[in-house]
Amino acid sequence: MNHKHHKEKIEDAEITSWKKKLFGSWILTIPIAIIMLSERIFNFPLIEMPYSIITILVIGFPVIFIFGWDTIKGGMRGLFTFYFNMDSLISLGTVVAYLTGIFYFTGFVQDYSGVAAMIMAFFTTGKYVEAKARGRASQEIKKLLELGAKKARILRANKEIEIPIEEVKIGDILIIKPGEKIPTDGIVVKGESSVDESMVTGESLPVEKLKGSNVIGATINQDGILYIKATKVGKDTFLAHIIELVENAQSSKVPIQRLADKITSVFVPIILILAITTFIGWFFFSGDLSKAIGVGVAVLVIACPCALGLATPTALMVGSGMGAKRGILIRKGEAIQTMKEVKIIIFDKTGTITKGKPEVTDIKSLIPEKELLTLSASLEKLSEHPIAKSIVNKANIKNYKKVTGFKVLRGRGVEGKIGKDAIIIGNQTLMNERKINLSKIIDSIEKFEEEGKTTMVVAKNNKILGVMAVADSIKEDSKEAIRRLNKNKYRTVMITGDNERTAKAIAKQVGIKEVIANVLPEDKAKMVEKLQKNCMVAFIGDGINDAPALKQSNVGIAIGTGTDIAIEAGDIVLARGSLIGVVQAINLSKATFRKIKQNLFWAFAYNVIAIPLAVGGVLHPVVAEIAMALSSITVVTNANLLRRKKL
Amino acid sequence: MKKLKLTIEGMHCASCASNIERSVKKIRGVKEVSVSLMLKKGTVEAEDSVSEDEIKKAVSKVGYKVSKIE
Repeated sequence: MNHKHHKEKIEDAEITSWKKKLFGSWILTIPIAIIMLSERIFNFPLIEMPYSIITILVIGFPVIFIFGWDTIKGGMRGLFTFYFNMDSLISLGTVVAYLTGIFYFTGFVQDYSGVAAMIMAFFTTGKYVEAKARGRASQEIKKLLELGAKKARILRANKEIEIPIEEVKIGDILIIKPGEKIPTDGIVVKGESSVDESMVTGESLPVEKLKGSNVIGATINQDGILYIKATKVGKDTFLAHIIELVENAQSSKVPIQRLADKITSVFVPIILILAITTFIGWFFFSGDLSKAIGVGVAVLVIACPCALGLATPTALMVGSGMGAKRGILIRKGEAIQTMKEVKIIIFDKTGTITKGKPEVTDIKSLIPEKELLTLSASLEKLSEHPIAKSIVNKANIKNYKKVTGFKVLRGRGVEGKIGKDAIIIGNQTLMNERKINLSKIIDSIEKFEEEGKTTMVVAKNNKILGVMAVADSIKEDSKEAIRRLNKNKYRTVMITGDNERTAKAIAKQVGIKEVIANVLPEDKAKMVEKLQKNCMVAFIGDGINDAPALKQSNVGIAIGTGTDIAIEAGDIVLARGSLIGVVQAINLSKATFRKIKQNLFWAFAYNVIAIPLAVGGVLHPVVAEIAMALSSITVVTNANLLRRKKL
Repeated sequence: MKKLKLTIEGMHCASCASNIERSVKKIRGVKEVSVSLMLKKGTVEAEDSVSEDEIKKAVSKVGYKVSKIE
C-alpha cells in the first residue's frame, strides 16, 4: 500500500514543481518581454541600450539558472555523458542564447538573452501542462490504486475493533456494515446483503451475497451486515491482481510504437548535429553570425522527442484505464494492434456463452429413476467435471456405492465398477465405441439434443439403463453480444465438446451460424490453428480449460468467473462473465489503436514540418519553443479525448 | 533469473525513459529493460548475479533516482 501513496506523491510533486517554476519564470520573463517589445517592436525603448541588455541579463539569470536549473543540470549531464535527452537541447539552446547577451559587449553578435528567458518560460509552461495532462491520462488507474480499503473492522474476543488493512490476516473474521467497503477478498460466514461490485468488475447490478458467497475486496456492501472470513490479503487479492495486470500492460510495448521508440533514442544526438550543421551553414553562406545563432537555437528548441515518445503510452494509459473501469483488463499492448485484423471470433460454449452451471433437467430411465441416479452419482462423485457435479446434485443422496477402477475418459465420460458390474456413463461417442445398442432410448436422446441439452447415457455391463439430459442455461446477454458482433461483420464460431445436435441448438439460440462440435478439450487449440490459416482469430474462453486455445489464437480473451481471474491466459481478461465485455473490449482496442495511430501521425508530421522550417530560418526561436511545447501537449490531450468514445 | 520492479523519480520526457533503458541494459546479465514514463516505473529482467545497487547506479548515472526496488 505504501508504494501507491509514494507514487502519488512523486506525480503531484512533479506537477507542483513545474508550477513553481512556471510562476517564477513568468514573473521575471514578463518584464523582460516588455523591455524587448518596447525596444524592438514599438521603437520606444523603456530602457536605453546597452542598459536594457544588462537589465535583461540580470533578470533573466534566475529564469534560466534558478527556475531552469534542473533542466540545465540534467541537460548538461546528458551532453557530457552522451546520454542526451530533451533537456540537453533546451539547456544548450537557452545557454547559448543567454551568452549572446554577454558577448554583445565584445561586439559581432546580436543579443538573444531575452529570448533565452522566454524559451525557458515557455518550456516550463509546456512541461506543466503536459504533466497535468499526463496525470489526467492515468486518472482511472489512479482511482484503481486508491480503491483498496484502508481499514477493517475485525472481531477479536467478541469485540469489534478497527485495524489497518495491512494487519488483516487470512482467516480473520471481518464485519462490514451497510455502506462500507469490503476490506479484502473473503467468504461470507454470516449475514445477507447485496454488494456493488461495479468498481472492480464493471458489473452494474448489485450482486446478492449470502453465507458461502465469495466477496471481493474494495467492493461496497449495500444493505445488510456481512461477516466475512478473509481468504486473500495484500498482493493476492483480486484488486491487487487487476492493478498488476494494468501496470504490466502499460509497460508492454505496442509494435507500432517500435519505430517511434527507435527514433526517440537517436533523436537528440541527430538534432544536436543538425543544429550545429545549420549554424555553420548559415554562418558560412550568409556571413551573419547573429542570424546563424538564432537559427541554430530555433532548431535546438523546436525538436522534441516527447510527442513521439508519448504517442503510444498515453493512449494506452487512457485506453487501459477506460477498460479497467469496465472490468476489461488489457494484458498486452500488442493485442490492441492485432485486434483490428481479427476476422473470426471463436467462442467456447460452456462457461462462456452459457453460465457453466449445468443442471440435470430430464431423465429417461429403463430402471427405477432413483436407482439410475444412485449408480450415476456414485461414479460421478469421483469426477471434477461440471456435468458430473450436476448429476451428483440431482441425485442428492447420502450413501454412495463403493466404486473400484474409476477412470475418466476425457471428453467422453467415465467408467468404473460397482461390485461386479461395469458401469459406464458418457456421450454417444463412448457408447458407440463400446458398441452399446441405443435403440431403446434414441428418441429421447434426439429430443433432448434438439433442445440444446447435453445427454449422458448410462450403461451397465454394456446394456443401456437410461439417459440424463443436462442443460446449461445461456447467459442473459450472450445473444445481444453476438448480434452486435455479427452486425459488425465478424465470423462468429462456437466450439464445444458437445455433439452436433446439442451444439447447433445452443448456437441457434444465440445467433451463431457456425459450430465446431465434438471437440476434445485438447483439440481446441488445433481447431483455432486451422481457422488461423486465412485470417486472424480471437478466442473467447474461460482461461482455465481453454488456456492452450487462448494462447494459440491471435487475441485470446479470457472470461473471468467470479472472484478468480486467470492472469496467465489471455491477452485481454474480462473480470465480469458477460459477453458484452467482449464487444466492449473489441471496440476499446480498436479505438485505442486508432488514437495511437493519430498520435503518431501528428508527432511525425510535426517534426517533419517544423524541423525543416527551423533549419530554413523561418521561425523565431520563441515561436519554435511554443510550437514544441504544443506538440507534446497536443498528443497527450488527444489521448485524453479517447474517453469520449462510447463503448 | 529475476524480475525487478523499479520506481523511478525525475523522468519527464520520452528520451529520459529510453536513456534509462539504454544505461541499465549495459549491465552484464540484464536481459530485458522496460521503462514507462507514464507510470514512472521500470521492469528489469536480469540474472541473479545482477545486484540492486548496480541497477540503481546505472539509473543515477544518467540523472534519475530509483526510489524503490521490489
